[in-house]
Amino acid sequence: METDPEYYVSGVCAGNRKILAKTITLVESSLPKHQELITGVLNRLLPFTGKAVRLGITGVPGVGKNTFVESLGMLLVERGQRVAILAVDPSSTHSGGSIMGDKTRMEKLSAQPNAFIRPSPSGGTLGGVSRKTRESLLVCEAAGFDVVMVETVGVGQSEVSVASIADFFLLLMLAGAGDGLQGIKRGILELADAVAVNKADGDNLAKTLQAKNIYADAMHLFSSDNTNWSPPILTCSALHMIGIAEVWETVLDHHEKMSATGALEQKRKKQAIQWMLTLLEEGLKDWFYQIPEVKKLLPQLTWEIERGESTPTAAVRKILTSLNN
Amino acid sequence: MADSGPEISKWQKLAEKELRGTSLESLTKSTPEGIDIKPLYTAEDLENLEFVNNLPGVDPFVRGVRASMYTNRPWTIRQYAGFSTAKESNLFYRKNLAAGQKGLSVAFDLPTHRGYDSDHPRVTGDVGKAGVPVDSVEDMKILFDGIPLDKMSVSMTMNGAVLPVLAGYIVAAEEQGVSQEKLMGTIQNDILKEYLTRNTYIYPPEPSMRIVSDIVGYCSKNMPKYNTVSISGYHMMEAGADSVLQTAFTIADGIEYVKAALNAGLDIDDFAPRLSFFFGIGMNFFMEIAMLRAARFLWADLMKQFNPRNSNSLMLRTHCQTSGWSLTQQDPYNNIIRTTLECLAAVLGGTQSLHTNSFDEAVSLPTDLSARVARNTQIIVQEESQVTRVVDPLGGSYYVESLTHSIIQEARKIINEIDELGGMAKAIVSGMPKMRIEESSARRQARIDQEKDVIVGVNKYQVEDEAPMEVREISSEVRDQQVARLKEIKENRDNVAVEKVLAAITKCAETGGNLLEVSIEAVRKRATVGEISDAMEKVFGRYVATTQCISGIYASEYQDNEILASLRKRTDEFAEKEGRRPRILVTKMGQDGHDRGSKVVATAFADFGFDVDISPMFQTPAEASRIAIDNDVHVVGVSSLAAGHKILVPELIASLKKQGGENVLIVVGGIIPPADYDFLYDVGVAKIFGPGSVITECANHVLNALENR
Repeated sequence: METDPEYYVSGVCAGNRKILAKTITLVESSLPKHQELITGVLNRLLPFTGKAVRLGITGVPGVGKNTFVESLGMLLVERGQRVAILAVDPSSTHSGGSIMGDKTRMEKLSAQPNAFIRPSPSGGTLGGVSRKTRESLLVCEAAGFDVVMVETVGVGQSEVSVASIADFFLLLMLAGAGDGLQGIKRGILELADAVAVNKADGDNLAKTLQAKNIYADAMHLFSSDNTNWSPPILTCSALHMIGIAEVWETVLDHHEKMSATGALEQKRKKQAIQWMLTLLEEGLKDWFYQIPEVKKLLPQLTWEIERGESTPTAAVRKILTSLNN
Repeated sequence: MADSGPEISKWQKLAEKELRGTSLESLTKSTPEGIDIKPLYTAEDLENLEFVNNLPGVDPFVRGVRASMYTNRPWTIRQYAGFSTAKESNLFYRKNLAAGQKGLSVAFDLPTHRGYDSDHPRVTGDVGKAGVPVDSVEDMKILFDGIPLDKMSVSMTMNGAVLPVLAGYIVAAEEQGVSQEKLMGTIQNDILKEYLTRNTYIYPPEPSMRIVSDIVGYCSKNMPKYNTVSISGYHMMEAGADSVLQTAFTIADGIEYVKAALNAGLDIDDFAPRLSFFFGIGMNFFMEIAMLRAARFLWADLMKQFNPRNSNSLMLRTHCQTSGWSLTQQDPYNNIIRTTLECLAAVLGGTQSLHTNSFDEAVSLPTDLSARVARNTQIIVQEESQVTRVVDPLGGSYYVESLTHSIIQEARKIINEIDELGGMAKAIVSGMPKMRIEESSARRQARIDQEKDVIVGVNKYQVEDEAPMEVREISSEVRDQQVARLKEIKENRDNVAVEKVLAAITKCAETGGNLLEVSIEAVRKRATVGEISDAMEKVFGRYVATTQCISGIYASEYQDNEILASLRKRTDEFAEKEGRRPRILVTKMGQDGHDRGSKVVATAFADFGFDVDISPMFQTPAEASRIAIDNDVHVVGVSSLAAGHKILVPELIASLKKQGGENVLIVVGGIIPPADYDFLYDVGVAKIFGPGSVITECANHVLNALENR
């Protein structure tokens, strides 16, 4: 592993694929010496970041995320844009390993010289998905990509993380299988800058249009804190390349409006502050559990609670007071 | 048979005595199909079975589709073969026909399957490798030169580029002076299973099903002696399906074709008698026999829903092939014995025709010697062993009849499941069948790796210092010859007429009409396989498979937790030292779509704690190397089963070097002739894993190599 920050900085800025890939590896590494190195690299890359459209995409498994990303990616590449895709694949909790098949589902795009697809395992998190993906996104921006898409498996916490790094957060949905919002939490719907109902083709078309109305009603219930933008509900068929251009127009429209009013800059600043706070919390946690006093007290108190000799509240108080002394 | 009770208990007592304390129940073993096999079967097991005591030649045909079976005429010895050129293949066919073979069976190379001409840039490593390249009718004419097509039944394994290939055969016959109604033989034309296993499709399922219907429709009118679909379970078995899965999915595929033809307006009795089947026969001797019997029952039973008037429409006629998967590279002459057992199982199961594999099949295409031994295996069973004397000699066997019943029951459950998904085409889109096969395959691999399933010479009784075997070498000049011939054809034909007829194909694809009819016209005008395929691709698009790969399966079957745990510990340690887990790209290059091996390796490695990238199928070396660079993998694992490794692997390594990836470790797995090992090591391959490699050991080798970098 090359240890000179200049190697990474100049390589990324020159658009060298291999060095770009190695830099992302560094971002993802759990070794302290790599983290130190990448911090320096990122600091020097920072002036070259911020120029891409940052698009976050999520949706439940089976919604057609890969197909959508492939279709949108192809559309952009054909328009002469350079596209980077960061995909997060779940790691097994048993083995720690993972299978990353994103490229098999983006066969055309993965062969395009102007596309860069990097799947990453979610596992072995040190700082979590958000830190790694966010920094990888900055690296891609410095490498000159016009659009960076971040794609995650749509369950749980990861959507919130994606929303916190994207300019535009797109939620993909399907025509309802009866359960309306398909396990998508209300909180995630609130974060969406647009909802696209996918698979609007063939037998499914009528159902999709119906679903569009249901989602539109649901979205109206949320009061948006963004006065410039009310999230539209779109339909598309990623498989048949229908409605993809319209989705992209929406993203661009949003980008223009937000840029013009300065809201985009505000959003990114807010995200950066949020990011700092998240990192701080994670850092605090790591630091906290490494304190000798905590390491000593924690097992002891756990045992006391197990035996019913103490309550959780009392135990926490005991640890925190011990630190104050 | 109520009076058999006391006798059974007498047997139980005797058996228990012999077992010396072990329980009798421990002798009951569960098969991968989920069937419990008892140590003894009696008349009691046959009570209430719906099909026992039927006659051969009569619905439901459990005992055979013909009344006299082999007592009158034995099965057809039909060896599948295709060598790198049409001329060489032609010579081989003629030699075999002279040596007693009755029908011939053509193996095409992978570019032909996938609708690419030999001069296409994607296929440099594949031309002439796994069969004969056919670019135009001129190649077809050479292939059948001197073989009277009005007398010779020809079977063609073709599913992707069915239209130009079948049209080529028809026009080659026409120019031999043989009219269409005299043609007999079979075209595989079973596109559904391609999406499940072999991946030699071109278009998406929907237009592909239309092509099947167009062929069925055209042939039912013009080629009454021709089998229009050979519904194949063989490839599923080879991909790891157990007997129940093979039976259920094959029958369900068949029903889907019937429905498609009926929807296209055909009468059931006009085409159903021309549907034939193709089953794979493995080493579980009685299971294979019972499978063929069960399949015949299920087909007859399910076809009744379409109310055929002709009882031939209920008949499952089948070709069989012995399992290539069961053959080993280690101690390869053992394969002759395996093939003999499988041959006997197919015969006792009542097959109509049979291909027996050559013993060197696990390593390369057959030599003259191995091809002769393979053919003689059948001739010896047919002419020396006397097994053909009696129709269905196992009919009435307590065990075989009971096993037949169990397969029927289990397969029915899966067929019902497919029905609920809306039929096989929809089930395929849902991913269910592929997932089941892959699951079954990963489990089988884990059983073998733990020696629960014994393979002599591989996981038991291994031979040290094996002598190398002579294998067939394919010259790289084949492609040059094909390219030259293509050039010549394109110079000497009426190119304006070709453009016109190709435009007609595109229009027909778009607006309707019979695609085989227009393809025949195009072939007459000397349009090539690639051109005809492209003309349809404009409308249909090229299908891209969605690869699903599930982790955890291998580990769940693998009970030796010590080995598993030690591997996981190694990958954990690697991650601690390197800052991330070992990352491996599993890739298949060229047009070889057999992805069983690569899938099993991918799931197993993920279970060991690797981060595994899977590339799309059909990669060029440049594409695969780019994924390796972009994903910054430590290792690239190349799976190669179709002889393209000597071209594709060096190209991959060169391409990696060009992008600064000289440190990426390359390992190769699959069918690599031992004679090629040194060549591959010399170009920079770190390790080669032949058939029968234990995956846990492969993973340890990879980790060793990574540590020694």
